[in-house]
Amino acid sequence: MQRRDRERPGFSLVFWRELAWLRRRPLLLMLTVALPLVLMLLLTAILSAGLATRLPIAVLDLDGSELSRSVIRAVDATPDTAAVLHVAELSEGRHLIVARKIRGLLLLPRNLERDVFAGRRPEVVFFYNTQTFTVGNLVLRGANAAIPTVAAGIRISLRTAEGQPVEEAQAAITPIPLQTHALFNSTLNYVHFLLAALLPAVLQTVVVTTMAYAVGLDVETRHRFAVLRRLGGGLLPAMFGKMLPYTILFLSMLGVADAVLFKVLELPLRGEPVVLVLAGFMFVLACQFIGALLALLLRPVAAAVSIATLLTAPAFGFMGIGFPRLGMNHFAYGYGELLPGTWYLMARIDQTIRGTPIDLSWKPVLVLTGFVIVLVILTALRVLAMRRHIQGDGP
Amino acid sequence: MKMLLAVFRNEISRLFSLRPVLSVIVVAAGVYAVFYPQPYLNEALRKVPIAIVDQDRTQTSRLLARLIDATPDVSVAEVLPDMPTAQREVYTRRIFGILLIPQHFERDLLHGRASPIALYADASYFLMYQRMNGAVTAVSRTLGTNFEIARLVNLGVDPPVAAAATDPMPFVPVPLFNPQGGYATYILPAAFVLILQQTLLIGVGLLGTMPGGMVAMAGGARLRLSDRIFDSIGTVAGKLLAYLVVHVVIVSVYLIGLPYLYGLPRLGSVATVLAIAVPFSLAVGALGLVVAAIFRKPLAVQLVFAAIGLPFFFLAGFAWPAEAMPIAVRWLAHLLPSTLAIDGLVDVAQLGASLSDVRSEFLGLWLLAAGYAAIAVMIEFSKRHRAPDTALA
Repeated sequence: MQRRDRERPGFSLVFWRELAWLRRRPLLLMLTVALPLVLMLLLTAILSAGLATRLPIAVLDLDGSELSRSVIRAVDATPDTAAVLHVAELSEGRHLIVARKIRGLLLLPRNLERDVFAGRRPEVVFFYNTQTFTVGNLVLRGANAAIPTVAAGIRISLRTAEGQPVEEAQAAITPIPLQTHALFNSTLNYVHFLLAALLPAVLQTVVVTTMAYAVGLDVETRHRFAVLRRLGGGLLPAMFGKMLPYTILFLSMLGVADAVLFKVLELPLRGEPVVLVLAGFMFVLACQFIGALLALLLRPVAAAVSIATLLTAPAFGFMGIGFPRLGMNHFAYGYGELLPGTWYLMARIDQTIRGTPIDLSWKPVLVLTGFVIVLVILTALRVLAMRRHIQGDGP
Repeated sequence: MKMLLAVFRNEISRLFSLRPVLSVIVVAAGVYAVFYPQPYLNEALRKVPIAIVDQDRTQTSRLLARLIDATPDVSVAEVLPDMPTAQREVYTRRIFGILLIPQHFERDLLHGRASPIALYADASYFLMYQRMNGAVTAVSRTLGTNFEIARLVNLGVDPPVAAAATDPMPFVPVPLFNPQGGYATYILPAAFVLILQQTLLIGVGLLGTMPGGMVAMAGGARLRLSDRIFDSIGTVAGKLLAYLVVHVVIVSVYLIGLPYLYGLPRLGSVATVLAIAVPFSLAVGALGLVVAAIFRKPLAVQLVFAAIGLPFFFLAGFAWPAEAMPIAVRWLAHLLPSTLAIDGLVDVAQLGASLSDVRSEFLGLWLLAAGYAAIAVMIEFSKRHRAPDTALA
């Protein structure tokens, strides 16, 4: 302690004092290290499978023919769906869907085989549940892939029975074959799509609320605020000395998350790592200064933390990962525009799965930098105003 | 019983007089009710912009482009000369897909050969990918079928027979619930339950960590053991009852008023919704008491629970299927009232399930309520056990 007393006021004094605080206050350390790690680990565990495969569906086979069995086999063979049980009635199947025991019900009507070959076009019906969006769409994708394949087989056999060669029949049944290429995420992996975006989103809330708290501790009383300024020997050194320890900690947390994503979960890194790191740095700084500014504007600390939570906890929806921003109303689009996370996720998607050319990569990084500059200026102005206020009041 | 009433009155008055508590349980719930649904209010993603690279430039290729532009899901924003130009447009996010119509598209079609087209769809946003893939697949199938039927009719096949030959076994997908596939209809009912849990959890956590929660009955420090046990039970019961009374009003607004306001379909009965909401509120309230005992300081409760909502939401097995989660995570998920409550309440409200359909969720919530309440009683008892000693010291 003695050594530090003799140290001249300035950036490093504030920096080291903050680190000592972090050591002495278990809550601060928990918020900056343990909490983000636990939350990110939890999300990683939930989504680690990346793909939801072999979702259970039931079959109501009223035909029991060779054809109906081949339809069931085809549905069972897709990666998305597994035909796990037979039901005797429609109502039983509906009941099981509501209970989430099965995710879909395939109805094969009576005389399916006979009617198909008689040209009566019997319908194969698939019931599923879009209330659970992702799962509903996945089982539909499975059924949608399997049944037309079986139908195509029938169409080919109808034609070859007429004497048409197999290749010609194959070409004839799909006059316009569509080749779909899933750009940037060819396996439609949810780890690379959703988890990679969720981790920074959680961090955004943690950073903003924690900084509102950490800065709030310093400005809660006039006395402490004055101490911080004196220790820093000036406004800017005090500000950056206060912020930097957290920048380092939060960037490390982001680094841990990314290490897991890149090394364990095989998230591709197709762009420029430098741009990704730069964007991450600006993202953390922007979040920090939002928290700091809230702490400077709102008293007591609890109010600053409350508002920080209110602004950032529902933010994930506004960042346009699940439901794209393109489809949002003006308010939601505008609010998303103001969140550092929106731009960071853009930069992140660009540099990881997309591999965006460098000349098209700068916009989100520049916007984040702009955020930081504006926020630093606002914070500085607010601190100056507070100092004038204190000096005006003082003896 | 006297204890219960005294605690009940005290908690109700604290709930409304302590500003941080009131602002979390009532004000935050009100703000979220308006704020949270905003991104999803348009329900569906429409008119995803794509580009067409038309190397054929014939009547048929232009017909294909027009048909695709006419679908509600996709719009043709640009017609571009080559793939590299189109790819750059994808990188800038001005378009999200490229449809390549190769040269000789029309000629091959007219000659009865397979005439493939290629869709390059941005899969870094799944919903966009799904929309583009769905729309273009449907259009190419319909147009292809028309050509196939025309060919067969030209060969002298009867039109109905030709139609049967092109589509002998029609596939009819029937969405049982949320038939429009609306995003708000999907996400809001579940998210509302989670918001209800988070606001009450933090609110009770604050109440439990702020001063003034201890109600002592006359009788001095020399209480018998059985008195202390009864006092502890009475205290916890009184508190939970107070939270329940307030929360039921907010729950009604969220689960009955808001769906009506946002036009979300509701099939289930109001009585059943409220029947599940009771054990849900009790379980969350009791968990809040445990949370308060663990974190001890109001700020700690606020800060720890600020970011926890997002993992809790995904734990519920709603946005991501429980089947795909590791088994340990599934067990953990069942310790949260939100997991069972989202299943139960969504089943009743959106799918029209009866109380017997959601019996396991209903009983599970009561079990959680009982479990957390028991822990809260034990905590309360040990507090009362220690309190006289500290008073003497």
